[in-house]
Amino acid sequence: MSFFFLHPLYLFGLAAASLPILIHLLNRRRMKRIRFPAVRFVLLSQKRISRSYRLRHWLLLVLRTLAVIFLALLLANPIFQTGAGLFAGSGPVSLVVLLDNSLSMTWSGDGDGFKRAKEAAGLLISALNDGDRAALIPTNISGKEVFRLKGEKEVLLKELDRIEVADGVANLTASLGKAYELLNEPASQKEIRLITDMGLAGWDEFSLSSLKHVDPSIQLKVIHIASKQKPLNSTVKEIRLGGQGVGVNLPLNLETTVANFGDSEIKDLLVQLSIDGQTKEQKLTAIPAKGETTVSFQTRLNQPGSHTGQVTLKKEGLAGNSKAYFALDAQDKLKVLVVDGDPQTSLVQSESFFLTRALNPAGERDSSLYLPTVIVSDGLNTTSLDSYQVVVLCNVPALPDGFVQKLQDFVRQGGGLLIFGGDRMQTDNYNLKIAQSSPPMLPAPIRERKLGPEANGEKIDKIDLTHPALQGFTDGILQESMKSARVWGYSRTSAPGKSALITLANGDPLLLEQKLGAGRILFATSTADRDWNDLPVKTAYLPLIHGLTNYLAGGKRGAMDGGIPVGATKEIFLPPSYVGKSLKITKPNKLEAEVSISANKDRSVATFQENDRAGIYRLSIPGGEEKGSGTPKLYAVNPPFLESRLDEISQRELQEKLRPVQVDVIPVEALEKGGKRTDLALPLVGLLIVTLLLEGWLAQRF
Amino acid sequence: MINGEKNYFDPKVLAGISNLYLRARWVVEGMMSGVHRSRAKGFSVEFEEHREYSPGDEIRRIDWKALGKFDRYFIKEYEDETNLRAYLVLDASASMDYASDGITKFDYGCTLAASLAYLILKQQDAAGLVTFSTRVEAFIPPKAKRDYLIQILHALENRGPAGETNVGKILEEIGGQIRRRGLVILVSDLLDDPEQILKGLRLFRFKGNDVIVFHILDQAELDLPFDGNILFEDLEEANLKVVADPRSIRNTYREVVQEFINEMRKQCHDSSIDYQLISTSTPLDQALASYLSWRG
Repeated sequence: MSFFFLHPLYLFGLAAASLPILIHLLNRRRMKRIRFPAVRFVLLSQKRISRSYRLRHWLLLVLRTLAVIFLALLLANPIFQTGAGLFAGSGPVSLVVLLDNSLSMTWSGDGDGFKRAKEAAGLLISALNDGDRAALIPTNISGKEVFRLKGEKEVLLKELDRIEVADGVANLTASLGKAYELLNEPASQKEIRLITDMGLAGWDEFSLSSLKHVDPSIQLKVIHIASKQKPLNSTVKEIRLGGQGVGVNLPLNLETTVANFGDSEIKDLLVQLSIDGQTKEQKLTAIPAKGETTVSFQTRLNQPGSHTGQVTLKKEGLAGNSKAYFALDAQDKLKVLVVDGDPQTSLVQSESFFLTRALNPAGERDSSLYLPTVIVSDGLNTTSLDSYQVVVLCNVPALPDGFVQKLQDFVRQGGGLLIFGGDRMQTDNYNLKIAQSSPPMLPAPIRERKLGPEANGEKIDKIDLTHPALQGFTDGILQESMKSARVWGYSRTSAPGKSALITLANGDPLLLEQKLGAGRILFATSTADRDWNDLPVKTAYLPLIHGLTNYLAGGKRGAMDGGIPVGATKEIFLPPSYVGKSLKITKPNKLEAEVSISANKDRSVATFQENDRAGIYRLSIPGGEEKGSGTPKLYAVNPPFLESRLDEISQRELQEKLRPVQVDVIPVEALEKGGKRTDLALPLVGLLIVTLLLEGWLAQRF
Repeated sequence: MINGEKNYFDPKVLAGISNLYLRARWVVEGMMSGVHRSRAKGFSVEFEEHREYSPGDEIRRIDWKALGKFDRYFIKEYEDETNLRAYLVLDASASMDYASDGITKFDYGCTLAASLAYLILKQQDAAGLVTFSTRVEAFIPPKAKRDYLIQILHALENRGPAGETNVGKILEEIGGQIRRRGLVILVSDLLDDPEQILKGLRLFRFKGNDVIVFHILDQAELDLPFDGNILFEDLEEANLKVVADPRSIRNTYREVVQEFINEMRKQCHDSSIDYQLISTSTPLDQALASYLSWRG
C-alpha cells in the first residue's frame, strides 16, 4: 500500500494555503476608521452575534485554506496504491524484475515460495502498459549473461516460465548490478522490484560498493515472500571419509555432519546412505537446536572404480537441502613395491620373503587384495612409483639421489613408505638423505645398532592401539602374539620412546611415524625378516603388515570427493599427456560441456566453472583415455550449506546494506491482493466543489 | 441642478442651497403648491361651538353651511382664538453632524425646522425654536410675527452641532420653560437613553402640549452599508470605539436599529405622541406632509 503524487512539483502550491490567513491578517491591519453616530448599535449587534460570528469566521478561514490545499493536491494528482503497488508516477516505465531463484525459495513461503514469486513477477509484467519496458533477471546468474529491456509482455512471460529454482545462492551483486546497468539510460520512470525470501545467504556476500552503476533515485521495492510457519530446518553440512582410503572390499567409513538451523531440536531424523542408487544403510538421529550431529556409516564397495553416493535426510516437513552428493573412486588391488636390500638365491632367506608372504600368502595374483612387486635395490633409479600405493624398503643399503626425490614426491602425493632396518642399511646415507633432509622423511636420525643374542631379545611393551594402523591389535590374541615376540637387533634413534607406535620393553622405539604432504612414512627399527626379531613367525605379523600397508596406502588408495558448492570452479587434474585434449563433462541435467585441458606444472588440468546444478558430474575424454592413467570419472556438486538456512535479513540490515538506495519492503500478499491504483483526483474535485459551495454559502450568510 | 418639481425636496438638492431661508421657502412653497390641490383648508386650533351671528362679527366667520341647513346665521367659535404656539426643538448634538451621502442629519433637521417655522409663521401661528446638545443652546419663544422667521433662521444658522446629547434631561428642562401649551416638534436622532427621552416627551404631553417627534436618521445608520474591517468611532463619546466587519453584523444591526425604532414608535403611540421616522435621504415634503396630516 503506498501513496504518491504524479506531479509532486505542484505540492509547492500548498504554500498558497497560507494566503487566506495572510489576507485575513492584512485585512485586520488595513482597518478603515469611520466616525459614526450609532456606534452603540454596532456594539450591541456585535455582542449579539459574537459567538456565531466568530465560529463562522473561522469556519470560512478553514474552508478557504482547505480549498487552496485541495486545489494544490488536485494539481499534484495524488495516487493511492492498494497492494504492493505497480508503478509510481506517469509516463513510460522502465522496470527490472529481479526474481530470486536461489535454492532457499524452494522452502520459503511455506513451501510455495518460488511459485508465488513467479506469480508476483507475472503480475508485475502483466501490469505493464504500452510504452513500458521491462527486463526479467533471475538472481542466480554468473554475471556474464546479457539482458535487455523489452516491451513485449508475452516474451517476458515466456522468459518467466523458463526460470527454474537454481541450486545455488542468489548472486545479488551480479543481478542488481545488471539491473542498474539496464536502467542507466534516460527514462521517465525507473523501478527495480526484487522478489525474494530475503534469505541471509544471498546478502552475506553482497556489497553495494562493488556495483559499477548505482542510482539511488531509482526506487527499489523488495517484495518479500515470507513463511507463516517456522519449519524444521536442517541440512547435510559435510560428508567425509573416516579411516584410510577407498578400496574394494575394504571397510568404507563415511561420517556425515548434519546441521540444525532451527530453534527446536529435531528428533527421529532418518539419515540414509545410498551408493550407486542403492540404499546401503540408514540411521535415526536427533539434532539439538542450532546444533550439529555426526552420523557414521560403514559399508564396503564390491567393485573397483567410480561410484556415486548420496546422503538423504528424511523427515516430514523438513526444510533445507536434504540431499548431499559425493563421488568415490575405489582402488582394486593395493599395489606394493617391495625393495629387497638383501636378496638371496633362496627365497626363504631373502629379506622380503616373510613380507611378501604376508601380503600375498598364496603367491597368486587374484588371491589377495595386495599385489606386491619385489625388486632389488639396484633398479631403484629406473623404477616408476606412480602405479604403487606403498613402497617398502627392506634393509636397503643406500638410497640413490634420484630415487630420494622420487620418493619424496610419491609420499607428498599420498603414497606410503615403510622402511625396515637391517644389517645392510648404511645409517649415514639414510641420515643424510632422508633424516636430515628438508623436509625430513624420518622422524629422527638413526643412531647406533643394538644387536644382542636372540635369547636376550627385548619384548614389545607398548602398542598404540588408538593409531589407525594398529587398531586391529585391540584383539587380545593378536596383542598377546605381538607381545610374545623378541627383538634382539634394532637401530636406535634419537626419537623419544613415547612418540613411537610400538615400543620395546627397554623403552626404545620399534615403530615410528613421519608425515609428509598427503602421505605417511613408517620406520621399523628392526628387520622385516627373522634376522633381528621373530615377529615374522608370529600370528601378529600378517595383520601387522596388512594394517601398516592399508594405513600407508590411505592417501593413494581410492578417493572420496565430498563435492564442491554450486557455483564454485572445479579443477580436474589429469596426467600430463592429456594437454591439448578436451574433457567432456556431463552435468546432472544431462547437458554436456567440453573444456580444454591445459598444462599445469608436471600435470595437466581442466577447469570447469558452470557447476550450476547440484548432483554428480561425469567426466570422459573423447577418443578414449589412456589405460591405467587414473583419470577421474566423477565429481560431486552440492548446494551451498548456508543456502539451506531459512533465516532472513532484517529490513534494517537490508536498508543498511543498500544505503543510500531507498528500500521499501512489501509483503507479497499486498501484490497478490491486487496492486490496484486509485486516482484521487476525482474525490479531490468533489471535496473542492463541496468546500467552495460551503464557503460561498457561509460567506453569503455574513 | 434642479430639474423639475420632483427635485424640490431632495435633500441633496437642498444641501446645495446654502441659505436656510431660501431652503425653507423652496420647500414650503413647493409643497404648498401641491397642498392647494388637497383637501386641507388651512390651520386652526380646535373648533368649539357655533353662536348666533351678531352685528360686528366678521362676515368671513359666518358658517355658510349652517345657514344652508338652518336658514340662520351662525358664527364658528374656536377654543382659542389665538394662533398655534409651536416649539421647534432641534437636537444640535455632535451625533447630528453625520452625513453618509450629501446632507448631515443636522442640516436636514435645520431645513426641516426652518421649513416648519416658515410654514407655521406663514399661517400666522406662533413659532419658536429651541436648540440643544448637552444643554439648551438657544431658546426663542414662539411668536406669530412674520419677520420672526429671520430670528429663528439666524439661530439655526449660527449654531453648529457639537457635544453630547442628553435628550431626556433637555426635554425636561424645556418642558419647564414652556408656560402655555402648544405644539412641541422634536427634531432629533434620539441617540440617547430611550427611557429618558420618553420621560421628557411624556412631560410635554402631561402639560397638555401636542408632541410630534421627527426621528432623523441617516440612511447609513439604518443600513450599515460599509465593507471591510472598520473601526467605528462614536461622534459624541471619544472613548466609544469598536472594530467590526459590517458584513458580518449587518443583519443583526438592522434588527437592533429596527427594534429601537419600533420601541420608540410604540412608546410614542402609547403616549399619544406623533412619531415620524425620517431618513436624511427622504424628501422633505414627506416630513412636512406628516406635519400637515397631523394639523388636519
